[in-house]
Amino acid sequence: MTAEKFDVLIIGAGAYGLSCAWWMAKRRSGVRILVVDEGEFASGASGRNGAGFRMQWGLDLNIRLCQESTSFFETAAEQLDYPRGIELKQDGYLVLAHSEKALTTLKGSLEVQHRYGVPSELLSADDCIKMVPALGRNRLVGGTYCGKDGTISPFLLLDSLLKACRREKVDVRYGTRVERLERNGGGFRASVSNGPIEADKILLCTDWAVPELLASLGLSLPVKSLPKEAIVTVPCAPRVKPILISLEHHISVNQVNRGSIVFVVSRARDGKEIASTPDFLAFAAPKIIDFLPGVADVPVLRTWGGVSSLTPDMQPILGETEIEGLYVAVSSFRGLMTSPAVGRIMSALILENDTNDPVLTKLSPRRFQTGELIVEPLLNQE
Amino acid sequence: MAAAIEGVRRGCRVTVIDEGPRPGGQIYRQAHPALPGEEFAEPAELDRKHRLLSAFQAVVERIDYRAEATVYAVFPNGEIHLAQGDRTEVLRPDAMIVATGVREQAIPFPGWTLPGVMFAGGAQSLLKAQRVLPGRNAVVAGCGPLPLVVAAQMLRAGGRVAAVASLRSLRTMLRHPRSLWRGRSILLEGLRYERTVRRAGVPELMGYVPVRAIGGERLEAVALARVDREGRVVPGTERRIACDLLAINYGFVANSELVAMSGAEMRRDPLIGGWLPVTDDYGRTSVPGVFAAGDGAGLRGALVAECDGTIVGAAASLSPTAVDGAALRAELAETIARRARHLDFQQAVRATLRLPIGIWRLVTDDTIVCRCENVHSSEIREALESGHRSLNALKRNVRSGMGWCGGRTCLHAIASLAELATGEAPSEMMTPRPMVRPVPFAAIARQKKAAAE
Repeated sequence: MTAEKFDVLIIGAGAYGLSCAWWMAKRRSGVRILVVDEGEFASGASGRNGAGFRMQWGLDLNIRLCQESTSFFETAAEQLDYPRGIELKQDGYLVLAHSEKALTTLKGSLEVQHRYGVPSELLSADDCIKMVPALGRNRLVGGTYCGKDGTISPFLLLDSLLKACRREKVDVRYGTRVERLERNGGGFRASVSNGPIEADKILLCTDWAVPELLASLGLSLPVKSLPKEAIVTVPCAPRVKPILISLEHHISVNQVNRGSIVFVVSRARDGKEIASTPDFLAFAAPKIIDFLPGVADVPVLRTWGGVSSLTPDMQPILGETEIEGLYVAVSSFRGLMTSPAVGRIMSALILENDTNDPVLTKLSPRRFQTGELIVEPLLNQE
Repeated sequence: MAAAIEGVRRGCRVTVIDEGPRPGGQIYRQAHPALPGEEFAEPAELDRKHRLLSAFQAVVERIDYRAEATVYAVFPNGEIHLAQGDRTEVLRPDAMIVATGVREQAIPFPGWTLPGVMFAGGAQSLLKAQRVLPGRNAVVAGCGPLPLVVAAQMLRAGGRVAAVASLRSLRTMLRHPRSLWRGRSILLEGLRYERTVRRAGVPELMGYVPVRAIGGERLEAVALARVDREGRVVPGTERRIACDLLAINYGFVANSELVAMSGAEMRRDPLIGGWLPVTDDYGRTSVPGVFAAGDGAGLRGALVAECDGTIVGAAASLSPTAVDGAALRAELAETIARRARHLDFQQAVRATLRLPIGIWRLVTDDTIVCRCENVHSSEIREALESGHRSLNALKRNVRSGMGWCGGRTCLHAIASLAELATGEAPSEMMTPRPMVRPVPFAAIARQKKAAAE
């Protein structure tokens, strides 16, 4: 069977895959790009997350990726020629501490944020409750707030990227699973359900599933899968204006414009299952009520699950692997909010071999063999 | 009820979880005991109702009967999660029978969301349970026998019916003479309803469908038009009829979300309820210990449902090997034969329920299809055109099915609109997820768990 030929094959049509494809197509016209995804539109982690973006991080690179991406979200409707908009909402993120230890972490991160010009501020427990009366006083010691943080619609971002990609002649195919990768001269050959594909370069954007594809080429990366579950309530009166996250409750809260409140609740668990687990709601409900007593009476409308990636230092992995022409972009559970910056940086690397961005040196896949890992402290992760 | 009675008879510990305040379900819905006993249904139907309710009452002491309790999730591990009052509970039975019945289907024509437009079965429920006439001057429109029955019952309750618009004449049933003969007693009940409507001088508009509901704050009139065999509106046939109630019913959709959540294999048959669990003669699904009975396993009517309940109730009480043995088949032979006889009559009824795909052209671009998320037909069409074909992909694109009702009202309309636009209906149902009904956090936090076995 003769193979279809492309310059770049991107595996995974989530926020990373589509953003990288769009930036590449914009950067150099005429590049033949194919994006394949085994699922259907928005069926992976990019369509299942809590929809937030924030610049409040503790490490410089996470802050920088999110600053650049936030600027993109603010103008995405024009840049992607998507008049409907992506439901950008900048009502801020309130990161809460329920212990002195957590507050110390927040204060340390605030210093780094200010060094990069993030407009974040420290709030007392009283200020936090004034901002969100539904919060419980219970052990709350304070928090930090940044009014420029916010949310977008994951579905609309993906749809706007998909349409923009197709306008730029990027071939995007859903329901197309890559079984295996092999080297083919200077390039690669991918075994795909409906025929082989040859490409000079390959970019893996399948997040937690990247190790599986790398294994067929004899490479490994320390990326784990982390299933998470989310809850959405019925629409109710406004109760939570900013996005809330609690480092100790491992919960994030986002009341969307339609009035529904979305909770993403983490709990340590292995696997790749996206199905809702039977004991999840009973696990999550008491935590949610403890954290946010003002929602106890709100009916839960639905739950869903998703799987994110987890790296040892909880930072993304971006760059070229030991095999020339084979690239990876693993988000470490912040794919949606960093996708614009990652798309730009990866497109410059792949098409122009531009390695100047400090992100690429520090977040390279090679860091796990050599470098000392610095772990991101501002995580909402159990 | 029939399955529970059979389970008790075979010595099982039976729990019945019922969303209603009293046993009976949709068909045998009981009025509040304080209301007058007057009924508008045929005596034979009332006899069946009272016989089954009495049989259930006779064993109810031995059943853990939960009224006003709602199952909000079923999991592949066999757990049933239910909400009752201000708390929740997890049950883990050896066998579960899902007998969740059907809901009605609407064709979303312009104005269908106006107050005063309701389902025919919904209007009938108000009459049965509350003794309330939902309108003073009604138009009943739909297909199959229900519109005629509802019109007759509203007349008997003292209401006025301005017209009955049937997509197909019930004479379509005459093409199945053998089925009619086998179901002659039911047919007679039907003819009596028909006589009530005819004697009241209600015009029967054959082949007519609502094309527009008219009104400001609420319904004032309906525009009806005749459609051809392919469901296309025949120009020049439109007529306007004043009414304050438009009761519609264009078939039924199975409440199959819970059985699907158990992991049971599903299939689609639009004529008998859309997505249905694949079952055998004994109601066994592809998941061991999960059974489906009644209309929720495929629309077949109350008489089949009662036989089905007995058969499935027996099977669920026994070990799989006992179900496969000849002894049970012999023991249930009479019930199985009765079910087959009633099922045969349903073949004739089905002929009146078939909707030509073209009828979905009544859904104009600016008609709201998904009421919860305010999604218009044009948005669905655009999403289909940009290649989003599955119900899941459409949901992620335009939010259809993402709201309060979880797609109960709109998904079959959307599947039909997809079939009309692309020539192919979506093969998969939208992934059913907890919760099937909304439950507050506080109730979930107060959860009683089944004792470990």
